[in-house]
Amino acid sequence: MAIVTKQPTPPRPAPLSESSVIGWVRINLFNSWMNTGLTLASLYIVYVAVSGLGVWGFSDAVWVAKDRRECFAISVDGACWAGVVSWIDNIFYGRYPRAELWRVNLGGVLLIVWMAPLWLPRVKAKIFIGLSAVFIYPFLAGYLFTGGDKGIFMQTMVTVAMVCVAGNTLHAMIGVISGRSLPEFLIGFLRMKEASEKNQRNMLLGILSLTVIAAYILQMNWSLETVSWTKWGGMFLTLVISGIGIASALPGGIILALGRRSKLTLIRVLSISVIEMFRSLPLITVLFMATTMFPLFMPEGFVLNKLVQVIIAVCLFYACYMAETVRGGLQAIAPGQQEAAHTIGFGYWKTMGLVVMPQALRVMIPNIVGTFIQLLKDTTLVSIIGLYDILGMLRAISQDTPWRGLYREPLLFGAIVFFIVCFIMSKYSRHLEVKLSTGHKTGNE
Amino acid sequence: MDQGRPDVFTAYALKLCDGASPHSGLAPIRLSYESLHVTLWSIIVAANDAETTNKVSALIKPKEHFDFFHDERVRSFLYQFLTACAVGWVVWYLVSNTSHNLEVRGMNTGFGFLTSSAGFDVDFKFIEYIPGQGTYFDIFLIGCLNSLFVSGLAIVGCTILGFFIGILRLSSNWLSSKLALTYIEIIRNTPILVQVIFWYIGVFSFLPTVKNSVDLSFGAEVFLLNNRGLNMASPLPGDLFWLTQVAFVVAVIGVFVLRYWSHKRQDDIGKPFPTLIASSALLAILPGGVYLLTGSPLDWDIPTLQGFNFVGGFSLPPAFLALLFALTIYSAARFAEMVRAGILSVDKGQSDAALAIGMRPSRVMVLVVIPQAMRAIVPPMISLWMDVLKNSSLAIAIGYADVVSLFMQTTLNQAGYAVEIVAMTMAFFMTISLTISALMNYYNKRIQLVER
Repeated sequence: MAIVTKQPTPPRPAPLSESSVIGWVRINLFNSWMNTGLTLASLYIVYVAVSGLGVWGFSDAVWVAKDRRECFAISVDGACWAGVVSWIDNIFYGRYPRAELWRVNLGGVLLIVWMAPLWLPRVKAKIFIGLSAVFIYPFLAGYLFTGGDKGIFMQTMVTVAMVCVAGNTLHAMIGVISGRSLPEFLIGFLRMKEASEKNQRNMLLGILSLTVIAAYILQMNWSLETVSWTKWGGMFLTLVISGIGIASALPGGIILALGRRSKLTLIRVLSISVIEMFRSLPLITVLFMATTMFPLFMPEGFVLNKLVQVIIAVCLFYACYMAETVRGGLQAIAPGQQEAAHTIGFGYWKTMGLVVMPQALRVMIPNIVGTFIQLLKDTTLVSIIGLYDILGMLRAISQDTPWRGLYREPLLFGAIVFFIVCFIMSKYSRHLEVKLSTGHKTGNE
Repeated sequence: MDQGRPDVFTAYALKLCDGASPHSGLAPIRLSYESLHVTLWSIIVAANDAETTNKVSALIKPKEHFDFFHDERVRSFLYQFLTACAVGWVVWYLVSNTSHNLEVRGMNTGFGFLTSSAGFDVDFKFIEYIPGQGTYFDIFLIGCLNSLFVSGLAIVGCTILGFFIGILRLSSNWLSSKLALTYIEIIRNTPILVQVIFWYIGVFSFLPTVKNSVDLSFGAEVFLLNNRGLNMASPLPGDLFWLTQVAFVVAVIGVFVLRYWSHKRQDDIGKPFPTLIASSALLAILPGGVYLLTGSPLDWDIPTLQGFNFVGGFSLPPAFLALLFALTIYSAARFAEMVRAGILSVDKGQSDAALAIGMRPSRVMVLVVIPQAMRAIVPPMISLWMDVLKNSSLAIAIGYADVVSLFMQTTLNQAGYAVEIVAMTMAFFMTISLTISALMNYYNKRIQLVER
């Protein structure tokens, strides 16, 4: 009897009790008495939450109605989303003139177009794209949103911004298609590859100045109706405040963090005291301070509007928070990096800018995004001091005659909007962290 | 200055090595790699030697002239001087503007207003205060105490709830873990202000009226919840009640002694002592016995319905409850993440080893994992507690009488004195935060010594 086979016996599949759905359920949910209890309790919570919210928020909810009374007439126990639906423009744009909403939308689209190349592969010089988005886009957006007469400075900035948009977009397209940058492409297009460097540069400068002049002439007879900042509101205002906050908190935080680690005693002491002062205060007291004290700080007759006061307060406050985040990242970088950079002759700014900061920023990405999320969420505090941001608008619904007393649905809607934005941001930061990690662990995971 | 010299040599030496390395085809100096190293090493050693240094520096003649703008000391002085000038100018500018503005607007200054009487009432207070007689300083104290009270309770609540949820998040039970994750993600990604307002007008305003109060104590009518808040019985201590309090303190001290003794005993003879049972028994029996022996000297002031409201007992306004709930639930979500990260930071080998020597999983958690996880949990936990105190200032959105809404808003609107009031409110927050962070630094230094 041959018991030796030439073929290896194929592995048998795992027993059904281990591999099937039932097996998974048994291992993960019912493997001990305690876990069974936990599972049943969790199932009960899920059932109560889902059925309660589902019935209230979906199956019994009213989506279209004229006013709250009609909501009640249709369904007593359901949510009255009709109020939110009829206020949706207010929630997103505040009291911005309805005929001018395209300006806000255009501003948003322009920002997306401006920033999109940062995420595209094969595009070169991303740092310039990012810098231009931070330093030039705000002027264009500011003009778009406020409108009115533009002085010579504003005209120039709008022109520069227009050139930047056009250049950025072209550059990104060329980059995606051929992997070259815009100047390289232009030189190639004009068949000047053989020409001397000086000629090439002059040619490019000529093209640039022609574009600038063309853009300047183009924008000269544009005129936009003035929209006072008091008409701004809703999600738009929240995004304006938090956008400016985000754009200025990171550079401010980096400067403060470097100041805190500086060898110069005075600078270090100043940075520490500013950071510790703002970090020990609640944001709302800083906002109150801004609205009550800034008018006193300014010379007589000079009035800062409330929006600017709030923005300054938010920027200062979050720069200090960002400084601590950045400091955490700087501490994670081994001192050898700095010493090595000094050895090959780098000065302070080169060491920091080219060696330490890039590494530190990569380590800090989750925390930076965390601070950004915090900033976005905390922007809702401006509603307390009387700006109509998204929360202010949501609370105003209950003061509106047809929807008097409608509290819960608007707040839940606001919570959902924030949840979506913040959740996407935090998931993206996780993704970035994984993508940028170079293999060596710096934290204790 | 001497420090720089070996570097010059090292750089030179490296250059030589590079040129003579076996990989480059053109070796400028035909020497074996080994002997080159020895030569270079002797040069470096010689360079460090003071005498040779002088000789060599005489040969090399470095540019040692004093360059004013490239000298480190001059530069550092210059930078600091410029910063000092700029900051000084800004401060002077702000102060002079402020004093000028105050003068122009005819606003009074000084802290004298603190002793003048305030005309408004406060609905929730811990100290005696009569409107019209109490001073603004009383208002400040009431505000501070209210802030501390709500944040203290929220800190206790969020720590317990967050710990529980953090453990649940790590549970092997898939469903509970995902449920905890859902809770954490939903709460963390929505603004706390929205949550505070939601609890206030979305939940605590929808409670039944006073007449139809919900009884939370199952028919005993000592915890009554309605849309005016939570009414509960308050204790009225009798003459000899202080003896019970003393007994309680003695029992607490006894627990600490017992703990110390049982640790020592376990170290000596290796047998554990049932500390938990013994200390709970001590805590229950000693004060309880004294209380009964002195003839139960404690009465309860039970809230009773008179007219349209409850009289007697202690009542917590809905704004307080909303703020407490919102703070607890929001901070618990953040704390749960800290607990999870802390426990995951403990090396898996630790719990494996503990299991290998036969410890039960629950004891592994309590005796091995959690004590080590605390090192990672405590620092962020303390800053979370500080955040709870700071977030308690959101009371202003729902009208709970905390320091910001009472002092920085109401008093500022009534009395003026913007500079003083803003400064005092900030001082309150800064005192507490800076004290805590000083303690924090001390703690961090202490646990760093333990670290290997």
